[in-house]
Amino acid sequence: MELPKRVVHHIEALLTGAKYLVAKPRMTVMYPEEAQILPEGYRGMPKFNREKCRSCSLCARICPANAIKMYTVEVEGEKKKKYPGINYNRCIFCGFCVDICPAGALEFTDIHDYASYSLEDLVFKPDRFAEGPPPRPFKPKLVKPMLDEEVGLKYVPG
Amino acid sequence: MSERTIELYIGPQHPGSGHMRFDITLDGDIIVKAEPSIGYVHRSVEKIAETKTYIQIAPLVERPSLADTVNPNLGYILALEKLLGIEAPPRAQYLRTLAAEANRIHSHFYGIGILGIMLGSSTAFMWAFADREIMIELLQMLTGARITYSYVIPGGVRRDLPVGFKEAAEKALRYLERRLKDYEKLFFENPVTVARLKGVGVLKKEDAIALGIVGPNLRASGVHYDVRRIEPYAAYDDLDFEVVVKKEGDSYARLMARVEEIKQSMRIIRQVLEKIPDGPILHEKYYKMIPPKTRKQIEETGRLKFPAAFATLKPPKGEALSRVEGARGEFLYYVVSDGSPRPYRFRMVSPSFRNVWLFAHLLPGHRLADIPAIYGSIDYFPPCADR
Amino acid sequence: MQVSEIISWLINLLFYKPEVFCPIFYPGLVTILALLIFIIWLERKIAAKVQLRYGPLYVTRKAGGILQLLADLLRYMFQEPIIPKTVDKIAFIAGPVLLFATAYVPAALLPATAEFTGLRSELSLLAVLALLTLAPIFDIIIGWGSNNKFSLIGSMREGYIVMSYEIPMFLSTLAIAMVYGSLNIVEIVEMQSRCWGILLNPIAAATFLLVALISTARFPFEIAEAETEIVMGPYTEYSGILYGLLMGASYVKFYVLSMLFALLFLGGWHPSITWLEKIHPAAPGLVVFIKALIIMVFGIFLRAVYPRFRVDQAIRVGWHLLFMLSMLSIAYSLAVIWLVG
Repeated sequence: MELPKRVVHHIEALLTGAKYLVAKPRMTVMYPEEAQILPEGYRGMPKFNREKCRSCSLCARICPANAIKMYTVEVEGEKKKKYPGINYNRCIFCGFCVDICPAGALEFTDIHDYASYSLEDLVFKPDRFAEGPPPRPFKPKLVKPMLDEEVGLKYVPG
Repeated sequence: MSERTIELYIGPQHPGSGHMRFDITLDGDIIVKAEPSIGYVHRSVEKIAETKTYIQIAPLVERPSLADTVNPNLGYILALEKLLGIEAPPRAQYLRTLAAEANRIHSHFYGIGILGIMLGSSTAFMWAFADREIMIELLQMLTGARITYSYVIPGGVRRDLPVGFKEAAEKALRYLERRLKDYEKLFFENPVTVARLKGVGVLKKEDAIALGIVGPNLRASGVHYDVRRIEPYAAYDDLDFEVVVKKEGDSYARLMARVEEIKQSMRIIRQVLEKIPDGPILHEKYYKMIPPKTRKQIEETGRLKFPAAFATLKPPKGEALSRVEGARGEFLYYVVSDGSPRPYRFRMVSPSFRNVWLFAHLLPGHRLADIPAIYGSIDYFPPCADR
Repeated sequence: MQVSEIISWLINLLFYKPEVFCPIFYPGLVTILALLIFIIWLERKIAAKVQLRYGPLYVTRKAGGILQLLADLLRYMFQEPIIPKTVDKIAFIAGPVLLFATAYVPAALLPATAEFTGLRSELSLLAVLALLTLAPIFDIIIGWGSNNKFSLIGSMREGYIVMSYEIPMFLSTLAIAMVYGSLNIVEIVEMQSRCWGILLNPIAAATFLLVALISTARFPFEIAEAETEIVMGPYTEYSGILYGLLMGASYVKFYVLSMLFALLFLGGWHPSITWLEKIHPAAPGLVVFIKALIIMVFGIFLRAVYPRFRVDQAIRVGWHLLFMLSMLSIAYSLAVIWLVG
């Protein structure tokens, strides 16, 4: 590259840098103080609905990571029944279990962040699975990501 | 080892190596010999696949290459569909193309970002990773996940276009088009970047063919070869796009080939959104298996429910071969079925595995500081090669 | 009355004796430490802004995370400095200390104002330059003493780069000294009250600025520590306070060179603000500091714009561009002297 052109490119690079130094846009979401509102159908941690479950164990059979296991649960006044439980140490959030459930007993929640002190704590047996993933310990400010022509992603408080 | 040279082990615990090691022999500042030592993150995808049912392999194959997930997923499903003897309906084909191209864009941004940080430009890195987020957000709208979409399933795709997707995509594409101009000024045409990449790591056309290089690296060496054109799959046959070919074959040509491919992918996305036909997103055979009540729910939400048969897919005896053009290059799958619910043999050849010999081929004769420049420019991803 | 006498004597010694005040307060140690904390924070903030991020924020959130670097400094202080068994212990420990010291000493010799200066000498410019050239030696020593291939390669790179920038640095400073016919910084500044050095010899100014960027490893010349190539270069084996000293040293050197640039080319304390003298005799020197700060801000802004050069390219810049420019600047100075007299 000849010298004058190179000088022009240097100046252009510096000016572009300077432009972003004064321009507004920022991509950061201040997680965990702020959290995104997730789109409908987001594949978060699944939740189990015991009333709808037909104990077909399709979810356990399709689970690619062997995260879902069928547990035998004694139900009062009835026979023993098999219900699914999930191990979040293994879950890969493919959502196959929810999609194959013929009874709609499994559904997605929009929770994807949960931390625990022990590995055992991440094993959700049917009763805990039915309660769903624990909510966040504090309420974050929710922002909705909107695709925008000017700044790319705009986080609108919502 | 002579007295003149020193041996340098770069990686796997090294800020510039990724999950692998290079055994470099240096004479002064010049590399005499370079050996990529692969296998550090080997996870035995092929053997694991033999223990899984067919549908369970779909999420597995996208794990090795986290930047580029739709394409490996799609390649495997194409092989599986050949075994099953079905083909997805046109709308599903278009949606597959859409997801694959959106993924190609964010994978290329990933590659550009890594090249940027390897050269020391933290801005290129941060920008590329920020703008990758645009496409991830878009795909999240479509698939419900950020990176590992598992979007393509035998006979179709899992979800239909959500409401407002087209407008959002148009906004995202316009934004990225504008941004690419700033990238050009700050990074692509930055004299320092040019000085670091131009003429560095030149891969000749004949060598590229002889070594079996794939993807943008091959095309940057002047070879007109793109699986999307040569063996069209999904909806690529109906779409108008250019195969980006560069003559120079150096690191800069490889970078710019990716940039041009981003532009072509945007073109494809626009066409897909314009041309996409109406219709089902799952093959009839499976759609019929879904109970009518659930079918109604699917039509309302646009989100597919699997038929129970998916848990126990049993393709007839036979073998199938498929290939797709991933962001980093060609994925090849070879699946042998013995009629049981698990494949008898599963073979996955990833693009990074085929590009890894570029290190041994390109590095000798260059300076030590050229390792990151060449590494970044071939967009090599160790987990993808190790599988 | 003994105690109050001692206190007033101490105050007089510390604050009104330039020989003591300059090395310790301004432009010496205290300024340097405060500046280090500020400038590294600013560097991260500027890079973050260009990169669509926020940068350090959580330490003193209301002030934009300005105390982040103080927190980092404290961490470095209390972190265990690990000394590997295989290193040359004396070189390994003494190297960073001496590197920081030699980077700092020239700052002590810089004048605060015309009357208030730590070193009164006809050759103060030479003294500062001579001390500046000491620091890279310790860079090479620690690279050798670390007994690590990456450290060695890094310090070798540093050695090559030093060779390529030092001659242009001397020549460009000499060029401006020639114009003013003096090697005394105070005299040079006083003569700039009418016309700044940058106007008298812009070539020398440009050369010196580029040299300042190269010698302090600013982008695009951050080559000896190139992370993706040789981990941290000479500093690979360091941790704790020793690493803190090493990291600070290049900023200190950048500060010294920026101050020197402000003094030699940007008119020093001119235009002088005389009422500041009522506060403290060194206070008018703030003008120099602000000019130097602007130079430093430009230097750290480059991180957000440039990748880094390869070592051979940087050496080429040194010999092909800077050496030629510095020769040109000498010729330019001669022409100026011949024309103006």
